[in-house]
Amino acid sequence: MTEHRTDPDAIWDSLDRQLEQIPLDLEQERDAFYSQPDWDVYRLHYTGLDGYRLFCWLSAPVSANGPVPALLRMPDYGSVHDIVYTPLRSVALVMNATHRGQRQSESVFQANYPGLLTQGIERQDTFVMMRVFADALRAVDALLGQTLAEVGPIALTGNGLGGALSLLAAARRPRITAVAADTPLALGHPELLEHDLVYPLAELTDYLRVYPHRKEAILGSMAPLDPVAAAPKVEAPVLLSLGRRDRGLCPLRIGELLAARLPHCDLRVYDGASEGGGHPHSVVREAWLREQLGVG
Amino acid sequence: MADQKDLDAFVTQVTRPEDFDDFWERVLAGLAEIPLEPSLSPDPMRSNAEVDVSRVHYRSLDGLEISGWYCVPTEGDGPFPAVIRFPGYKGEPGLRRDWGRKEVVTLTVAVRGKLGSHADFNPGYPGLLTHGIQGRDTYGYKGVISDCSRAVDFLLSRPEVDPQRIFACGSSQGGGLTLITSALRAEIKGGVAGYPFLCCFPESMRMLRSYPYDELNCYARVYPDLAREMLETLRYYDAVNFAPGIKCPMVVGIALEDEVCPPETSYAAYQRLTGPKELWLFPDSGHGNAHDYPAKETEWLERQINLTKPGGADD
Repeated sequence: MTEHRTDPDAIWDSLDRQLEQIPLDLEQERDAFYSQPDWDVYRLHYTGLDGYRLFCWLSAPVSANGPVPALLRMPDYGSVHDIVYTPLRSVALVMNATHRGQRQSESVFQANYPGLLTQGIERQDTFVMMRVFADALRAVDALLGQTLAEVGPIALTGNGLGGALSLLAAARRPRITAVAADTPLALGHPELLEHDLVYPLAELTDYLRVYPHRKEAILGSMAPLDPVAAAPKVEAPVLLSLGRRDRGLCPLRIGELLAARLPHCDLRVYDGASEGGGHPHSVVREAWLREQLGVG
Repeated sequence: MADQKDLDAFVTQVTRPEDFDDFWERVLAGLAEIPLEPSLSPDPMRSNAEVDVSRVHYRSLDGLEISGWYCVPTEGDGPFPAVIRFPGYKGEPGLRRDWGRKEVVTLTVAVRGKLGSHADFNPGYPGLLTHGIQGRDTYGYKGVISDCSRAVDFLLSRPEVDPQRIFACGSSQGGGLTLITSALRAEIKGGVAGYPFLCCFPESMRMLRSYPYDELNCYARVYPDLAREMLETLRYYDAVNFAPGIKCPMVVGIALEDEVCPPETSYAAYQRLTGPKELWLFPDSGHGNAHDYPAKETEWLERQINLTKPGGADD
């Protein structure tokens, strides 16, 4: 039996057990420079798998009173995850979490672009992206562990890598109430290598050009990250957007398989590439998130 | 959504300092004193049958080492035309291997602060837009713009590049840097500035609450006594003040739903262009996500490259 048939649930159960053993050790510090009249901005640091210190930006409405809805924006594939503006900051907790290797979560190692996607991919236990996904789970734990406000409904959102992190975190954390995933990175899907890929997924093609004999090994390493495999466990409603011409994040065929396996999916397909729905979808997403979070 | 009427009605308050040209001549003269020290490190994993990919380095303002990705066609007879791609504010500059099969060299620049160029300068994102903003000589963008100018010098140092066929492009901050660098370096023969950032700072601050421009509002709120100096510094870095100095053909692409770089401010830069120019408006698009933009950019650059004469002065 090849390694990529290993039960993903068993792997994530094991990683979750490891996370449970690690104290969150959360530090939260108000950032006076970026705080606004309507919301305060905080810098949070917490501990993830292997003892890595991770960073996120978190904003809390100044008028927070009682349970506050929360929006957790998972990171894109890139080194910076900044304080993305959203008008929801005045009514919801908004968290922008980073994963290991990104800016401010880079004390141990710094991610390279291109490069991160295949770092250590020859074995599942050295594959950095497994840890990156575990960091997304840890971000949910940090959101629930912060002491700035009581957390109400939680929506996850993200584009590309952030979309895939959102789906996997929702599959593993039943506390999540909604997911808006745009062109989620299809890393781990067994059909992925059959597509004509561009960056960032083309990092896999680059890797296989140099190490053609490792195809089975990398399929095995990636398998637990397959959003299509995780989809049936996502109980929360999902707003999913895809680009018809996307070859870099979520090829349409895989995106459609994903939509079919999500129990509650509102699929929107746009005539775009990796940018997905662009502005029209951002309007749809904003309204959808407001509805899911109950902030009108 | 902004429309043509909004664009035409907008009048920027940004004015050009009297010593604007002197200031930038001094910066470029100082830069010329610094040895370029160009170097290439081939990257076999990113290279393929059509393109040799290298990580490149060169020296820029304050002696900082700047990096970039350099893609050279494996086929064809050089010297080749070249396209420099300037980076956005927070994204990492990517590889452009697709130009290789068209027999075009590409250089994507990691200006200071980006991965590979941040060992000695790392204000972060957010952070860069206000770094050293208390004075025109301390402002972080003095180095960023210098790094872009030195990218032209890097290409001029390469025997495989045709010095008469250097072009530039970029989106967002990369769009602003395309405008600015094209004004400073006449070696650039044409450019495409998409959704340009760094235009009309005072109005952009007022029109939006989104980053990066909102970093300036944060600065003004925390340091109200320094707000006037901040705005004075920004006059030397506003792309609308560089626009009249651009002589080569230039495109400005504007998304009318842009909530990061207000369409009116990009249009103000377009209006101040005095050379051959073209305007692309994308009515139902936001910042950086017009579906047609990448194909239009490629098509325009290919056309300009073919219009210029290899190895000779274009006319």
